[in-house]
Amino acid sequence: MTLTRLLERLLQLIPVLLGVSVIVFVMMALTPGDPIQIMIGDQIVTAEQEAQMRRDIGLDRPMVERFFVFLGNAIQFDFGQSFYHRRPVADVILERLPATIELTIVAMLIALVTAIPLGVLAAVRKNSIFDRIATVGGLLGVSLPGFWFGILLLMLFAVHLNILPVAGRINYGISQGITPYTHFLLIDTLLNGRLDAFRNALAHIILPAVTLGLPMTAILMRVTRTAMLEVLRTDYVTFAQAKGLSRQRILWRHALKNALIPTVSVAAIETGSLLGGNMIIETVFGWPGLGRLVVESIFVRNYPLVQAAVLLYAVIYVMLNFFADILYTILNPRVKL
Amino acid sequence: MKAIHRTLVASAIAFGMAPSVQAQELIVGFTRDADTLDPANHRNRETETIIRNIYDGVLTRSSDMQIHPEVAESFTQVSATVYDFTIRPGITFHDGSALTVEDVKFTLDRVVLEGGMGGGQSSPRASLMGPVESIEILDESTLRITLSEPWPLLPAMLPHQQIVSQAHVEAIGADGMATQAMGAGPFRLAEWRRGDSVILERFDAYYGGATGIPEAGPACVERVIFQVIPESASRVAALLSGDVHLINELPPHSMNQVNNSPNAQVMTVNGTRSFFLALNNEGEIFNDVRVRQAVAHAIDRDLIIDRILSGTATPIDGILSPDAFGKNHDLPAYDYNPERARALLAEAGYPDGITVTLDTEGALRDTAEAIASLLTNAGITTRVQVGESTLLTQKWRTQGGPKEGDIYLTSWGNSTLDPFDIFVPTHRTNDRGNAAGYSNPELDALLDEAAVELDRARRGEMYQQAEAMVNADLPYVYLWVPQDIYGVSTRLSNWSPSPDSRINLHRACLD
Repeated sequence: MTLTRLLERLLQLIPVLLGVSVIVFVMMALTPGDPIQIMIGDQIVTAEQEAQMRRDIGLDRPMVERFFVFLGNAIQFDFGQSFYHRRPVADVILERLPATIELTIVAMLIALVTAIPLGVLAAVRKNSIFDRIATVGGLLGVSLPGFWFGILLLMLFAVHLNILPVAGRINYGISQGITPYTHFLLIDTLLNGRLDAFRNALAHIILPAVTLGLPMTAILMRVTRTAMLEVLRTDYVTFAQAKGLSRQRILWRHALKNALIPTVSVAAIETGSLLGGNMIIETVFGWPGLGRLVVESIFVRNYPLVQAAVLLYAVIYVMLNFFADILYTILNPRVKL
Repeated sequence: MKAIHRTLVASAIAFGMAPSVQAQELIVGFTRDADTLDPANHRNRETETIIRNIYDGVLTRSSDMQIHPEVAESFTQVSATVYDFTIRPGITFHDGSALTVEDVKFTLDRVVLEGGMGGGQSSPRASLMGPVESIEILDESTLRITLSEPWPLLPAMLPHQQIVSQAHVEAIGADGMATQAMGAGPFRLAEWRRGDSVILERFDAYYGGATGIPEAGPACVERVIFQVIPESASRVAALLSGDVHLINELPPHSMNQVNNSPNAQVMTVNGTRSFFLALNNEGEIFNDVRVRQAVAHAIDRDLIIDRILSGTATPIDGILSPDAFGKNHDLPAYDYNPERARALLAEAGYPDGITVTLDTEGALRDTAEAIASLLTNAGITTRVQVGESTLLTQKWRTQGGPKEGDIYLTSWGNSTLDPFDIFVPTHRTNDRGNAAGYSNPELDALLDEAAVELDRARRGEMYQQAEAMVNADLPYVYLWVPQDIYGVSTRLSNWSPSPDSRINLHRACLD
C-alpha cells in the first residue's frame, strides 16, 4: 500500500463522480413532475406568482445551462439551495449525515459480531441441527421486510414491554449539556462522561440497528459459513491438524483469517447498501437520517438535494470498496493493491 | 414469560428508559419535520402547523373555523378593497421587544413584495395574500391593507401569515430566519433537531392570544415537542406506549386498537378535503352527461365509507364540504342503483357497457379498487392504474391542454372552507385543478361574480346556485369529505382537532 496507489485511487474518483453527476442530473431533469406545482399544491396562485416562484429557484433557465451552473458550483463544493428548506443543500445533508452513519455502523457491528461466530459454528458443525436452524434463520433474515420486522419489534419492545422508545435518537431532557464533538451520540455522550445519556442513546438505536442489521447478519453468516467450509478443506488446515495444534487455534487463528476475505468484501459492499437501505428503517423509527431526507426529496423533486446526496453516496461507495481492499492486504499479505 | 418480562423491565430501568414523571412535556408524534422555521419561506402545511405555535398571526382561526383577531384587536372592512386592522398594544416578542404596527407591516411586505425576502428572492407565500396593492401604517396602532380588486377571502386567508420581528429579521437575515425562530406566539424555540424533533418551551410573557377564544393566558404546558414519526404504525405504537401524547393522521384501521387501549382515544373532525372522480369531459365517453350520471349511480358510497374508511367520511353531492360557507344542503343525491346506471348507459348508446381506466395514486388504491369493482358490476368495466401523484397531476391538470385518460380518483383541499379556493380551481374553465376539463361559461361567470361579491349572504346564495349547477351537470362524481383522525392520550385535555389540520397547543394541558 503506497501513497501513490492511494492518490491514484482518489484520482479515480473524479471520472466516477463526473459520470454520476451527469446521470443523476439528467435523470432528475427528465423525471416528470414539477417542483413548483408540488409546492403550490391545492392553493391559490396566479400565473405571474407561479413564474416568480420558478425564477426564485432558478428553474426558469434551460436544462443545459442549469447543468453547467450545477457542475461549476459543485466543483467548489457548492451544491445550491434546497428548494424546500431554503438553505444550502450541503448544510441540510451534513446535519442528517451523522445519524445515518452512526446507525449504519452500529447495525454493521451487530451484524459482524453475530454473523461471524454463527457462520463459523455452522461450518464446523455442518449439517447439524444448529447448522440447519442457522440456515433457516438466515433465509428468514434476508426475506423479512424491514418495515414489517421493525414494526413487530416496536409492538413488542415499545408497546407491550414498554422498555424501549419508538422514535428519535435521544430524549431532549437527558441530552441537555452534552457538547457535540463528533455528532455521533454514542461517542459524544461517553466523551462528556454522561452514562445516563449514553444508555438513553443506546436504547434509541438498538431497535433500528437490529432491524437494519438483520438481513446483513443473515448474508454475512452464509458467506462466512461457505468460506469457512472451503478453508477447512485446504491442505494447510490438514497440516495444522497433523502438527497437533488445538482445534480452537486452527479455527480462529488459521482458518478464519482466510475465510474472512469474502466476508470483508461483502460487508463493505453491504455497508454501502445499508446507507441506501436506511430510508425504510429511518421512516419506521423516525430516525433523523439522510435516507429519509433523500426519499422525501425525490418525491417532491428537490433536485439540488438529490443530486448532492447521490454524489455523496457515490463517494462513500468508492471509499468503502477502497477500504475493503486495504483490509484484504492486512488479512492476506499476499494480496497487493 | 413473567420472568422474562421482569428481566426486561429491570434492564429497561438500567437503560434509563423507565417512564419518567414529566407532566408538563407534551409530545406530538408528527408525520414530518418542518422544512424551515421562517413563516414566509415555505409552502407546506405541516411546517405551518409547527410554526404556528411559535408565531401568532394578525388573525387566527378557532377549531370551529371562525376567524378571530389575534395580534390585531379588531378589524373592519372599510370598502370593497380596503381593510383596517387595529394592532393590540402590549404584545412582546420572545426577546422581550414590543410588537408594533411596523413589525406587522414588515411581515406582510416581506410576503407580498417582489424581492421581499431579500437577496432578490420573493416569498413563496405571496399568492396566499391575494391581490394586495399596498400595506400602509395609518397611525401607531392601525394598519391598512388595500387590494387592487375585491377579494372577500382576505380575512379567511390572513391566519396563514405569522408576524415576525423586523429587528430580528434584519439582524439575522433570511438565512438565519430558516432556523432561528423568534415570534410572539405561546411557545419559543428551544431547539430544532433537524429530521428528529422541534422542541418548544412555554413563553411566560405570552399575551394570551385571541380574545375571542376562551381561556387566554400563557400556555398550559411547559414544553412541547413535535417528534417526527413518518410511519403511521410507528406513530400509533408511540401513542400506545405513552411515548407521545398526540398523533396526527391516525390510519382508520388503527382506530379500534387506539380506542381499546386504556391510555389513548381517537378524536376526529371533518377535514376540508373533498374527494371526487374526475371524468374526462373532453373525452368521447364522458362528454355525455348520461354516462357521467351512470357512474354516479354505480357507486355505493356508503359501502366504501363503511368498509374502507371505517365510517370516517361524510358523503357529498357537490364539491363543497358540509361545513363550508355557501354549502347547498338541498342537493339531490345520486343513489346507488346499478340498474339505473345500465339503463343510462344504454340510453347514451352503450347497451353493452363501456371499458375505462381509473387513475389514482398508491395511497388510494384500496378505494379505487372498490370503486372499480362497483363500476364493473354496473356495466362500466374499469381497470385501476396506480401512478405517482406528480405524474398524475401532469396528466390530468392540463389547464386547457389536451387530456388523456378516462377517470381520475383525486381530491382538492379547502383549508379556509370558503368555496372560492376549491370551486374556482376545480370547476372554472382551464383552471389549475380542473382535472375533468369541464367548461361551462355560465358557471364561470357566476364564480367570477361570487369572487368579488361583498354581501356575504348574497355570495353564499351564489355558491349554492353554483353547486346546484354542477350537481346537475356532474363534471365530477362527488364522493366524500374524510375526517381527520387524531390519536390522543387520555392525559391530554383542552385540545380539540381543527378542520384545517393545525395543531395549536396554546391551551392544551396534560394531567
